[in-house]
Amino acid sequence: MNVENLERALAEIGLHGIVEVRGSLAVLRMDADGGLADDQLRFLAVDAAERSGFTHLALEVVDDADRAAFHRD
Amino acid sequence: MTDLREIATTPNADEKEHALVEWLRDRGSVLLGFSGGVDSAYLASVAVEAVGPDRVLAVIGRSASYPEAQWRVARDVAQRLGLSVREIDTDEMEDARYVANPSNRCYFCKTELWSKLAPLAQEHGFAVVIDGTNADDIGGHRPGMQAAREHGVRSPLVEVGMTKRDIRERSRARGLPTWAQPSAPCLSSRLQYGLSVTAERLRQVERAETALRELGITGDLRVRHHGELARVELSREMLALWLTPIPMRMIIAAIRAAGLTRVAIDLRGFRSGSLNILNEVTAA
Repeated sequence: MNVENLERALAEIGLHGIVEVRGSLAVLRMDADGGLADDQLRFLAVDAAERSGFTHLALEVVDDADRAAFHRD
Repeated sequence: MTDLREIATTPNADEKEHALVEWLRDRGSVLLGFSGGVDSAYLASVAVEAVGPDRVLAVIGRSASYPEAQWRVARDVAQRLGLSVREIDTDEMEDARYVANPSNRCYFCKTELWSKLAPLAQEHGFAVVIDGTNADDIGGHRPGMQAAREHGVRSPLVEVGMTKRDIRERSRARGLPTWAQPSAPCLSSRLQYGLSVTAERLRQVERAETALRELGITGDLRVRHHGELARVELSREMLALWLTPIPMRMIIAAIRAAGLTRVAIDLRGFRSGSLNILNEVTAA
């Protein structure tokens, strides 16, 4: 699983956030939904995750309080 | 959600049902492990018709992992069918091997259930204990089936080759309210393997899923428990509706009210056995 690759691939399709790795689950933390209601964009995002070795990609929308509490090691 | 258009006529579902009736008549009487789900409700309906209501006993095993809403459905279905029901408490939560939540957790739960039902069947003179496992269940990760085999439990839906699609089709033809009901496995199946099964975590999942249903989310839905993080799996149709700012905030608020602090929406959506896939890759 390659988190840097995934973050880069997601950014290329307009999804700018931090990816938290939990086994083969990638949690994309963003401050907005990123337009992921769109089927095509969601497909691209999931495809990017799978190409980076993840089996699952989930979106977590975070507010300022959540962000302050989160530190990626 | 089950699309009504997907339930087209399956050429041999009728024939399989005839074979099922014969299978049940050959046994004469059955004790059925009953959850009120699609499969066991259908099996109960056919069994009552095949051998008569006095020769069928449906047993519901109740514990913290059995959703309250499912229990209500089970009672309702049993009443409609004129089915004799007995409820027993199961104690899998007292088994440390189950509570540790390994990938074969279901084996310990089903061992507990069948070890109570097999003597009950003998005591009351039922010829065989049966369950609602169907032909599609064969081959997946189902450690509970090993426990069934060890206790002599038979799976007639498997033996006559009935798939979930067949069962939904024939349930619909019989007017069973369960025909389009989403599958509803036990609440423990929502907990990431290795995360211990506690009554509080099961309640959090149940409260969260109930709250999301109350918001109007229909079809397949799972709140997967990853410790402080809840990962929500919705159908593709629901994802398109709920992955927008205000609906997402409603989902987050509902799940936080249920006691989970972080909420993430799975972008691929509902997958049966999702945690098995996660476990296999992570453990590899």
